[in-house]
Amino acid sequence: MLLPSFLHLLLCLVGLLGVAHASNANDKRVEDFFERNESPTSSHTNNWAVLVCSSRYWFNYRHMANALGMYRTVKRLGIPDSNIILMLADDASCNQRNKFPGSVYAHPDRQLDLYGDNIEVDYRGYEVTVENLIRVLTGRMDPSVPRSKRLLTDERSNIFVYLTGHGGNEFLKFQDKEEISAFDLADAFEQMHQKKRYNEILFMADTCQANTLFSQFYSPNILATGSSGLGENSYSHTNDNDIGVAVIDAYTHFVLEYMENINKTSDNSLQDLFSTVATKKLGSNPGVRTDLFGRPLAKTRITDFFGNVAQVEVLPPTGHLQTSANDEEDSYLASSDMDNKQPSLPHNLTSEQSLPPSDAPWWSSLSLLIQDWGKTRAWVAVGSLGLCLAWTLSS
Amino acid sequence: MTSPSTNANSSWPKSLRDPSTLYFQKTSVKRSIIKAYWTVIICAIPLWWYTTSIQRLALPTSRVHSETETLHTLPVDVCWEGIPNGLAEPVRKELVQRSLQHKERWNGLTLEPFRYGNCGDNTLIIRNHNGPESIHNQVLKISVEKHVRKDGTYSRHVVDLLEDLLAPVVDASHFNNLAVQYSSRYRLSFSLLNEDSAAGDMISGWNIEHALRVHITPLLEDLSSLHNFTIESQVQFHAPLAFRPAASDGYWGITREDLNVFVNSAEWILSSSSSNDHVLHFVLFVPSLNARPLYILDNNGQSTESNSFLLPQWGGIIIHNPSSPSHQPLPPADLRLTFATFADQLSALLGIPQLPPSIKQLPESGHHVLSKWQMDTLLRRRTIENTIQTRETLRSIVNLVDQIENMPVGQDVKDDVENALSAYTEMWTGSKSLIDIFTLSADAFNLSSRAFFNPGMLALLYFPTEHKYAVYAPLFASAIIPLFVSALREIVAWKKERKDAKNGSSVDHTQGTDTPNTS
Repeated sequence: MLLPSFLHLLLCLVGLLGVAHASNANDKRVEDFFERNESPTSSHTNNWAVLVCSSRYWFNYRHMANALGMYRTVKRLGIPDSNIILMLADDASCNQRNKFPGSVYAHPDRQLDLYGDNIEVDYRGYEVTVENLIRVLTGRMDPSVPRSKRLLTDERSNIFVYLTGHGGNEFLKFQDKEEISAFDLADAFEQMHQKKRYNEILFMADTCQANTLFSQFYSPNILATGSSGLGENSYSHTNDNDIGVAVIDAYTHFVLEYMENINKTSDNSLQDLFSTVATKKLGSNPGVRTDLFGRPLAKTRITDFFGNVAQVEVLPPTGHLQTSANDEEDSYLASSDMDNKQPSLPHNLTSEQSLPPSDAPWWSSLSLLIQDWGKTRAWVAVGSLGLCLAWTLSS
Repeated sequence: MTSPSTNANSSWPKSLRDPSTLYFQKTSVKRSIIKAYWTVIICAIPLWWYTTSIQRLALPTSRVHSETETLHTLPVDVCWEGIPNGLAEPVRKELVQRSLQHKERWNGLTLEPFRYGNCGDNTLIIRNHNGPESIHNQVLKISVEKHVRKDGTYSRHVVDLLEDLLAPVVDASHFNNLAVQYSSRYRLSFSLLNEDSAAGDMISGWNIEHALRVHITPLLEDLSSLHNFTIESQVQFHAPLAFRPAASDGYWGITREDLNVFVNSAEWILSSSSSNDHVLHFVLFVPSLNARPLYILDNNGQSTESNSFLLPQWGGIIIHNPSSPSHQPLPPADLRLTFATFADQLSALLGIPQLPPSIKQLPESGHHVLSKWQMDTLLRRRTIENTIQTRETLRSIVNLVDQIENMPVGQDVKDDVENALSAYTEMWTGSKSLIDIFTLSADAFNLSSRAFFNPGMLALLYFPTEHKYAVYAPLFASAIIPLFVSALREIVAWKKERKDAKNGSSVDHTQGTDTPNTS
């Protein structure tokens, strides 16, 4: 057993060196390339958010708080309720054990009630299932499903997908009953891509081993980030002694903390957000996957995903388009005519970017090995079953 | 060797019975129990197979690929009236040349040879007319002599003009950005929002039915062959902004950044959510008395004359500063201006091509507001858009079904795909009027979308192989192994019995031979 694992370690190290070398050599060139071609703004015209808390029960209060915190932030930054799909697997605010009925707090000082008085939960309780999430994403709904429960996106939509709950290697548990796997998510996103249901997706997961959830993605223009690597737990941030349980997870807490300083017109980039969160004490290594994403993070505004910022076209004074022709309009908006066609990176240049001091290449090669292990284990299982059988027969 | 039954009396306590004498330990009973188990299992296998397999009907994959790979073009039919044959041929040649150069602009369009002389009712007509250029329904009046000479030369102007009319600049980002995607149904929502009536002044209402009748309905009627519209309207008396306008001397201003976030979606409820149609919003915003007049600022921070703006694919907004404080409904003059602007915004959002500036549009006959030139261009644009969408959707359906093995394909999906495909094929066969081609393209698009979004086409949950082992092994191994082993042993015993019987052995072998003999 020792020898193979030693060999694997060696392999990982070699792989790591290779990637590091390749990226050193090419980084500068790639960066220059993007600098030249990059337009400063995204080409989306509308924003959507899918926020999922997949855990039930009172002791998972913090997961409800995570999702509600994100809900509050995207709503504050301008995504209307009609464009937010909020899935809460349990109603912590009305739980009998809640000392503050009707409220959900994410901080022991209880200054900010996340449940508030204007909240629209689209899927609640037992409606939060893997099937429903996949239906929301792919749009394969029964005709009777109301508008508020649908993700009515088009090819100009930026979507923020946030998942929180209990997860493991390549899965996220829903309600102690079922799991969504990384493959399900990847296939759902591919179906969205095929039907042009998004312009760009920001995928964020705060669960244990969250980074494994996006390991299987293969559709373009998806930026994925997670709170913890393979084999790592995602920890809660703080307890409230009156409520009696942990009230928020560390990763979400620091993301939200950063977002508090953002408003609709801020132009901070996602790189700023990720770098800031990575410096915090999380107990895990948050990861970012950028190889599918066409734009550099430093040029991607947070409000491209968390806000609802569309470029408007101001009309000429008389209000008569017919006489205006195109030049007059164009003078008003240089910014809206932009080209989002990004030449895709050659494959050897893309790498699993990670936050310092994370170790994604090591992790990704490990995941490959784990996959192989899966097969090996399966065969070992079959073999031992056969041995059992033979033994029973011979006795 | 003695029979165990004779020993039993001596070796077993009275309270216990010899197991071999129990009725269910009889060989025949035991064997029939095992047989029963196996019968149930074997009978259940088809049921298990049926319930765990997915219905995947074959889609016409190869037809989809072959049909969608052929690129089709829509003919553009133009007829010259009142000029001698062949005179406009150089113009046509130049236009064809341009359609090759400006591929994006002429995407999917081909120019039919110009026709001369007797023009039909359904063609676009260019008529010789000395005077200002004008357009009226299907007739474009230009001075042919001025632009096309007998020696075969022509002016650039006429070629530019025709290109602008037939293939308006759909600078890809502009068209896609501003105009909404095609949908057969739209909901138009008109809202009059008073920022804060409590501050003292407000517009208490508007005569919307009249305004719609005059300004919007004619446009909608012209478009009735493309879309169905539903209209809703509302008046709100408290609709706060999410930001504070910048105060200047004597007025308030909205910067460009603020314009981008003007819509306060958290607090404004702009449309009912009763249907899944695409909603286009039209908002007349009346600033609070404390923040009047409210102007849009340009990039230098100076106020501009503009008071309206468009949010791409979302709708249009007009900021209205009432001239004098009142509690009255919107005055007729303002109403007219407002709805004229809304109508312009609506046509921009629906992708209606605008006429080149040099052309004057004469009032159309009847209630029409759009000339046939514009209608045809719009129909062609939408047809091409639908064609591309249908092609991509059909291709992605067959690709996904190939790619994702767990994806069920039911009869309704298959029917929709086949119908979409036949509508798509039908579009390009025979000679049809533009409106028929468009209707087929819309059918093909709607059917292919419906097939794609069919709720039954949900890929079943993916389980890695090891998960399957993990689920099946504890469930079945513990039951199957004893069953299997006991069946095997029973068969072995039975064979041995038969062999012994053949050998003529007189000893009565039963399974009881294994019981320990204590004597």
